[in-house]
Amino acid sequence: MSFALNEIEATAKRAASGAGLSWGMAEEAAKAARWLCAQGIDGAAVLAAVLEQNGGKAAADLRPASLSGDWRTDGGTLCPLFAGASLSDCAARLATGRITLQAVSHPAMLLPFAAAAASQLGKAVTLEWEGCAAVTDGRSVSVSGDALLQACVSGASASLGGSLDAPLSQAARATPGTAAWESLNRFAHRTFAPATEASRLAGAGAGLSDND
Amino acid sequence: METTAHNTIARRDPALVMRLSRLGSVHQCRLSFMRTLTRRLAEENWSFARPHFDINEQGVGHAVYTATGPQRTYSLVAFAHDLPPEMRSDRVIATAWDATFTLFDGVPTAEDIERLSKNVPYQEAGRVDEQSLSVSRANRSVRLWEHMVDALSHGRQPEAETVDSVGYLMRSTAVYGSGKLGAADFEKIACRPEMAAPFQAEMLSVYLTRAFVRDLVNHMARMRGGEQAVELDKETARSLGIGNSTGLGMAPFIINHPVLFNNWIEAREEAIARVRSLPAATEEEVECFRGLFARSQASVAAWHSQHPVQIGKLEDLNSDLEKITAHLNHTDLTRSTPWDQLYTWAEGALSEEGQELIASLILEPYGDLVDGLSVSMADGRPDALLINGAMTVAAVRDLIEASFGWTLSTDWQAKENCARAWYVSEEKLEPRLGERFEEPIADYEQPLAPARDAAAAHAALAEWDGSLPVAEFLLKHPEHRHTVRRVQISADAPYSEIQDNTISAEVLPIDMLRFKLAVFGATHFDPRSDRWVRICMYGNAPYPEELTKENADRWVYPNAEDQA
Repeated sequence: MSFALNEIEATAKRAASGAGLSWGMAEEAAKAARWLCAQGIDGAAVLAAVLEQNGGKAAADLRPASLSGDWRTDGGTLCPLFAGASLSDCAARLATGRITLQAVSHPAMLLPFAAAAASQLGKAVTLEWEGCAAVTDGRSVSVSGDALLQACVSGASASLGGSLDAPLSQAARATPGTAAWESLNRFAHRTFAPATEASRLAGAGAGLSDND
Repeated sequence: METTAHNTIARRDPALVMRLSRLGSVHQCRLSFMRTLTRRLAEENWSFARPHFDINEQGVGHAVYTATGPQRTYSLVAFAHDLPPEMRSDRVIATAWDATFTLFDGVPTAEDIERLSKNVPYQEAGRVDEQSLSVSRANRSVRLWEHMVDALSHGRQPEAETVDSVGYLMRSTAVYGSGKLGAADFEKIACRPEMAAPFQAEMLSVYLTRAFVRDLVNHMARMRGGEQAVELDKETARSLGIGNSTGLGMAPFIINHPVLFNNWIEAREEAIARVRSLPAATEEEVECFRGLFARSQASVAAWHSQHPVQIGKLEDLNSDLEKITAHLNHTDLTRSTPWDQLYTWAEGALSEEGQELIASLILEPYGDLVDGLSVSMADGRPDALLINGAMTVAAVRDLIEASFGWTLSTDWQAKENCARAWYVSEEKLEPRLGERFEEPIADYEQPLAPARDAAAAHAALAEWDGSLPVAEFLLKHPEHRHTVRRVQISADAPYSEIQDNTISAEVLPIDMLRFKLAVFGATHFDPRSDRWVRICMYGNAPYPEELTKENADRWVYPNAEDQA
């Protein structure tokens, strides 16, 4: 079934929040999933994989311990949402040099954040890891190599420059894989308050008749 | 937004404009989305047709209404149902309706209609695709519908008093657009000139729905009365709008779309500043204003509410109207800076209802100065959501103080200041507002208290070296990320934040609903509780086949056709 990109974003935001991310990070995850879908990449599947992998880990074990030197986490493997948000936040640093990440999971999820950096800088940004190089100008992405959808890589780097030789064609709709979509919806469900009679009556302000 | 260099009067201070009680007193104006739509339809000479109207004596079937502009056709596909009365509800949790609709991009084929007939009637339980631009539903006004069908089927016109006491035959209970239920994302239509102002697809859908409802009541009367039946007379039909019943969903919308929220307000504030800056007004402009003021009194006279808050506000407004009348009787509006003087008088003499009525009404004579601002009401800056991590901690603190200075002295631990929590119910994902200390909802709270969150972020930032980039802070404090995003947006969007507590024991969500509905162009706000409100849309508007350049704009003021 085909979905609107807004539907992907709305469900992704709820899912990321349901998985324990702060609302600000959930917004990042949702925009990122949508951006991937707009490139014809199954962003819902990448996000679902990230959220499942993060399950139960503390934020301190998922994010870079420091933004100085190589980015690494004491927890072993960086989460691409936390590393990606920092990459976008540190866009200006790319003007003076490369940002290097140590072990990171699902590096495809770094692409939307590299795109955010490119948008801020008004220049192309290149993201590389073993078997893959992706160049983005913010809106589009050109990918070379066949290792885009790795579950984990031992390192990745972001740098200024690169050319979009063969940008992926933009998609206006998304067709997420069924299992991943169900996974996101399970996470999202955690954000919904269970229905109670009191809530049904008071929460939306029922009172005067609405059948008149 | 265009430059304001030529304005001698500044836009109003956000600290004044962004209070909930004032947002809850805003009235429609020239920039309202319904009026923007009808002006365009008339200016571009759009044509309208009804290629299908296939509805049986039980009132079940479908109809198609088309609207064709210079480049494209849009079609309202309407499904009429025979709804058992016990299933009729305006709530999101309803599962069946008297009528359901989709606005189709183009002209639907028989196959399209067949597919839509299996989905649109089920609303949230169905799916549409990117050929649909909106999905909506409406219920009959039980009070008026049966009276109307009965009278017309017996060859009589309905009683004017009954018609006026309701004002519409059906009320819509949700109009979903932009990607909801599988419909097209807004991006699909954003670059079309006719969709450049916000919510134009939804406004078109409602405008065509009103024509369908009029046709349906005539049809049902004919089915029941046969030869004896008469058509609803044109004048009564014209007075009818389409009702709308709106719950809490609109409140999260304005908080979750700060750039759009800002642009809606900034456009109106810029328009007000431009008109207040005019050094003089011509006789013709003054006559226009005086005439429309008289007509707006007629509109207010027809506005009824049973809700104590709105009853009080209407009393204030009626008293304001008397004061304005007396003031205008001895005021020469052709003297220097008349509109600024009038507005300044209103600020000192009238309630917020009256002040906002004047602020909207002074724009009326100045279409050339005002109407072009409607395009700036869209959100054309997706990159505004990107956080600038290089901004210093000190600069972020300054921004919080600028937008949320008022909140920093609030005791956010005090129960009355955080008594409420916004959440989404498992039941059809209905947005709700609950009592934090009485219901098990805090774990499900939505981020709809920007002021409280800004105070928390400000306190956390106080612990940090002001010269550090905020990227360092956000790495350690992802819980403040949404707040940093919002305050950075506010740097370029002074009207993006409500300057009030959205979770206090006293908050009235209807203030947020009123604001959004007024921007759409709604009138006759009738709150049914503190969390939902009924309104009227397109009351007194010409029907599609009656639309001309002369009547396309000021229909919102009663008697428009004689005086436009």
